Amino acid sequence: MSGAAAADPRARAFAAGARDILPTMPANAAWALVTGIAMAQSGLPLGQGVGLSLIAYAGSAQLAALPLLVAGAPVWITVLTALMVNLRFVIYSAALSRTFKVLPLGQRLGLGYFIGDISFVLYLRAEERLGSPAERARYFMGLSLVLFFVWHLASLVGLFAAASIPREWGLDFAGLLALVALLAPMLASRPALAGSAVAAVLATLARHWPFRLGLVVAILAGIAVAVALDGRRRSEP
Amino acid sequence: MSEAFATWVAIVGIGLTGVVTRLSCVALGERLQLPPLAERALRYAPAAALGAIVVPALLTSGEALDLSLGNHRLPAALVAGLVMWRTRGMLWAISAGIAVFTALRLAF
Repeated sequence: MSGAAAADPRARAFAAGARDILPTMPANAAWALVTGIAMAQSGLPLGQGVGLSLIAYAGSAQLAALPLLVAGAPVWITVLTALMVNLRFVIYSAALSRTFKVLPLGQRLGLGYFIGDISFVLYLRAEERLGSPAERARYFMGLSLVLFFVWHLASLVGLFAAASIPREWGLDFAGLLALVALLAPMLASRPALAGSAVAAVLATLARHWPFRLGLVVAILAGIAVAVALDGRRRSEP
Repeated sequence: MSEAFATWVAIVGIGLTGVVTRLSCVALGERLQLPPLAERALRYAPAAALGAIVVPALLTSGEALDLSLGNHRLPAALVAGLVMWRTRGMLWAISAGIAVFTALRLAF
């Protein structure tokens, strides 16, 4: 630990968080850049792309909802799809609230807003060696604020730079590849693989259903299959 | 409802899904305990949603199924998935996928 801010353990925790997330920044910046480029190249007007990026702050949900937005799918289908991708945040939120429940509500909401995949994983890794909930909160904010600013900066760079990239390079496809990259490691668990496969097949077969209802049915069926398989695995000796 | 307005409503809605899910348990504190079944469903939702979005987008051109060799997205995505599986590096995976896609586009 560096000695500069050694006086205040909370300031030190914040600095430690900011430092611990730095190694992941090249990958995060690239992912944000790809998200920005994919949004700009999808045909979504630039203003809406910028709005979506700033308001949503969730790369995978943005990319998942993007084709639905561009195709003019019903609003509730688009929002429900984003919700499905974002539901993992509920699990993160539950895990964080175990430590942060002693903090005042305002502070909890401030922390919760910044929940993300990388910051959550890094936080859990460090939680044990951190002290009081206040210190833990500062550490989480150190992680989160660096991620927040780098993400938005890179995403905006991608959005504005994409205007000068020809459409036929197919860089909007990079957004889909990013989702593939996100999905691939999830498939290591057998229930997730089965659920994802069922959802994929159903969504493909039901792609002509009105209002993109096939997508919703496919996702719900996939979740049901995964939960059923997971439950059966648990009940076995 | 004009198309642009509907899109903005959807954008705000997408933003709300992020806020509501992130703040859910943090805001409610001890009043919300996730039952195990709900936690399992939440855990598998992203894999199901991503499968349902990614696979049809890869298998179709426009509305029609396209399993022809002219569909360069399919081999590119397979390579990206494999690279991700082996390296766990998203940057490598996306770069490999784009490389395959571009090579096929220029070659055929």
